[in-house]
Amino acid sequence: MLKIFMAWHYPAQWKIFRSDDRLLLILIGIIVGICSGLAAFLLNYSLVSLLHWLHPYRHLWWAFVLPAIGAAMSSLFLEKIVNEGAGHGVPEVIYSVSRHGGLMRFRSSFSRLIASCLTIGSGGSAGPEAPVVMSGGAIGSNIAQFFELNDRQRITLVGCGAAGAIASIFNAPVAAMVFAMEVILGEWSSVHIVPIAIASVAGAEISRLFQGNQIAFSHRQFHIDFLDIMASFGLAVLTAAASILLTRMLRKMGGVSRKVPMPIWGRAAVGGCAVGLLGIFLPDVLGEGYDAIRAMIEGLYAPGIMVVAIGVLAKILATSLTLGWGGSGGIFAPALVIGSFVGVTYHRLLALILPSVPWVNEGCYALLGMAGLISGLLQAPLTGMFLIFEITGSYEVMLPLIIVSALSTTICHSFEPASFYLRDLVERGQLLRPRTDAKVLADLTVRELLEKDCIVVRPNMLLREFMHVVQKSRRNYYPVEDEKNGRFLGMIHFDDIRPYIFNTIMYDTVLVDQVMDTFVDTVQLDDDLKDVLQKMDAKGLYSMPVISNGCFVGMISKATILDRYRKELMVQTSL
Amino acid sequence: MRLNIIEVARRLELPPGTVERWIRQGRIPIQKIGHDCIFEAAALEKWARNHHLCFTITDGNPDKKTEETGAGDHDSLLSAMKRGQVFYHITGEGVQAVLTAAVEKLPDLSHPKKTILLEKLLEREHLTSTGIGNGIAMPHPRTQPSDIVVEPMVSTFFLAQPVDYNAIDDQPVSVLFLLLSPNVKSHLHLLSRLSFCVRDDAFVSFLKSVPDRDPFFRKVADFEEKLDKAEYGRSQ
Repeated sequence: MLKIFMAWHYPAQWKIFRSDDRLLLILIGIIVGICSGLAAFLLNYSLVSLLHWLHPYRHLWWAFVLPAIGAAMSSLFLEKIVNEGAGHGVPEVIYSVSRHGGLMRFRSSFSRLIASCLTIGSGGSAGPEAPVVMSGGAIGSNIAQFFELNDRQRITLVGCGAAGAIASIFNAPVAAMVFAMEVILGEWSSVHIVPIAIASVAGAEISRLFQGNQIAFSHRQFHIDFLDIMASFGLAVLTAAASILLTRMLRKMGGVSRKVPMPIWGRAAVGGCAVGLLGIFLPDVLGEGYDAIRAMIEGLYAPGIMVVAIGVLAKILATSLTLGWGGSGGIFAPALVIGSFVGVTYHRLLALILPSVPWVNEGCYALLGMAGLISGLLQAPLTGMFLIFEITGSYEVMLPLIIVSALSTTICHSFEPASFYLRDLVERGQLLRPRTDAKVLADLTVRELLEKDCIVVRPNMLLREFMHVVQKSRRNYYPVEDEKNGRFLGMIHFDDIRPYIFNTIMYDTVLVDQVMDTFVDTVQLDDDLKDVLQKMDAKGLYSMPVISNGCFVGMISKATILDRYRKELMVQTSL
Repeated sequence: MRLNIIEVARRLELPPGTVERWIRQGRIPIQKIGHDCIFEAAALEKWARNHHLCFTITDGNPDKKTEETGAGDHDSLLSAMKRGQVFYHITGEGVQAVLTAAVEKLPDLSHPKKTILLEKLLEREHLTSTGIGNGIAMPHPRTQPSDIVVEPMVSTFFLAQPVDYNAIDDQPVSVLFLLLSPNVKSHLHLLSRLSFCVRDDAFVSFLKSVPDRDPFFRKVADFEEKLDKAEYGRSQ
């Protein structure tokens, strides 16, 4: 009985999967896709119920504190109960994929779901997508851990989880696949793409099973003219500006809130309160805001151009108040809302300036604006394009869609070198995309590069004895160790004694500690290789002694680093 | 195939830490159960080839091993000398004549080989004399003829009359040490040991007395012991 269980527990060791694990990954990918799809459905369902449940209270005068209560509760839950940081969680997923082989905690698979449900359901301006991505990723990671899979397989399954979640929440399998590859994994390889595609299908199927095959935002037929395509260039600039503004606002708010002397949940409450007050005047900024999007795509959004323009700024402000002050949720849905506001504003502006041109209706511009904002914010043009294409089912907008997405990404990239998800990681030096220099250096450790063929000498050795050591040795470096406690004292390089080699009179008069260099740059055993190389480059060194607990353990040299770096690169780049 | 991680690492010529990490990261076609690695030899060999790594399924790298052991314990000078034997009363006028007479005395060598060897020795003498002074010469071929000898040997020849050998100190030579080795390493090893002996004045005057085989070998054994002691002291 135990044997059968063990065999099930380690499917990677079955004979059919041992040489090629693609089939195994596809099978487990299906499971992961289903689970993360369920998680996404669950969040969506509870959000809807929470909205319904809270609906009667929305019109009361004190309704503005609702977002505050929700944000505070979500912050308390994250901090006190599951002990995790606030935020949307996507950077955490990316970091775990790049640094720890996709290792994630089990609690991450539900913590963000509950926290974001509280924040968004109560009216905070945030989206459910990023939390669902984190849950999906954590589900994938934990299933991989259960089956004792290796890092590469686990990373694929984290991607599967993220894809399944996005596929389920938007009913958009292609966009989910592209998102997982472009944003989460950061590499395109056939090993990943097949299981992830399968997981997206599974996730989307789950959503269709429970909610029917409905597209999030239905649309009417668009007839796009040449002038509309020209106009999309202008829209790209506007959406890029909005994305940059949102990115910087979120950042600023984070900085401001950190300075407020309050517990974390208190800050979240303050942010939520502010959002609630904003919502009194512009109720569309509250929550995920899909109703507003729907109205705009239909072309039925009633308020005038000024209100819409203010709506852009208000939504940006509300989102940064919610997320920057400690609420929990993603920026996907707010970005869509802001994007459609921008699109509608732009359309109305065009109609005002050039009333004689038969512009396509404003719903189309709302779609383009959404694509522009997603692409600019995530700096992932493909994700933006496919998402809009899929959640609206409108192929006609493809041409301007490509222009807006590509251009918006490019403009944003020149202002903000790293996307919203990656910026924190880049700043901390933790962005290690596969097949990059940083990743190879992060994987190699000093321990693996140790050269142990050095002969250790004692400080009170005569030069004559030392010459005998030189004769025996193959290296030019000689570490000097204290005789009694074995501590590292310094180094002798062959160059240090070169002038005295042929002077036999000095052989019996000079001691080793008279020629040794005591001010040597050393490396610790657990130093990062990146820092070691930086040190070597800065000082023009080719070899350095490695010290552990004050004792010499070996040398590290550029020659060995190059040799092993090359091997590592070859192994990492050809999967 | 089942091997432990240290073995696999040795065969891949990588530190065990790296192999372990690669297994964990799923970069190498090996499964790990406890400390054991399970893999298909053919698959791993193919993988290693594709990644320009070396992997030999046979234990370790045999070439390296023999080379190391070869470098580690060379033959002693004494055993090489015993193999080469000692010859007395070599007669001849001039370098070519003594060398011809000396090579003629060598045991276990066919005639054509002796001719080749003599040519090589004369070629080397032509380059610069091997007379190192104090009446001693060390004739040897410039390249080590592995087809002539399998084991290194040093043959000692005491000449009947001192011969003008163009030695560096212009003194006539009365003792020849003919060095023959299958490879350069053992040649250099013997040369350095022999030069340790002939640098010593006591040894030189002992040679001048044309000693018998047994006392001669004893003297060489004494000197080698001294040399070994000195080298042992260095490595301590």
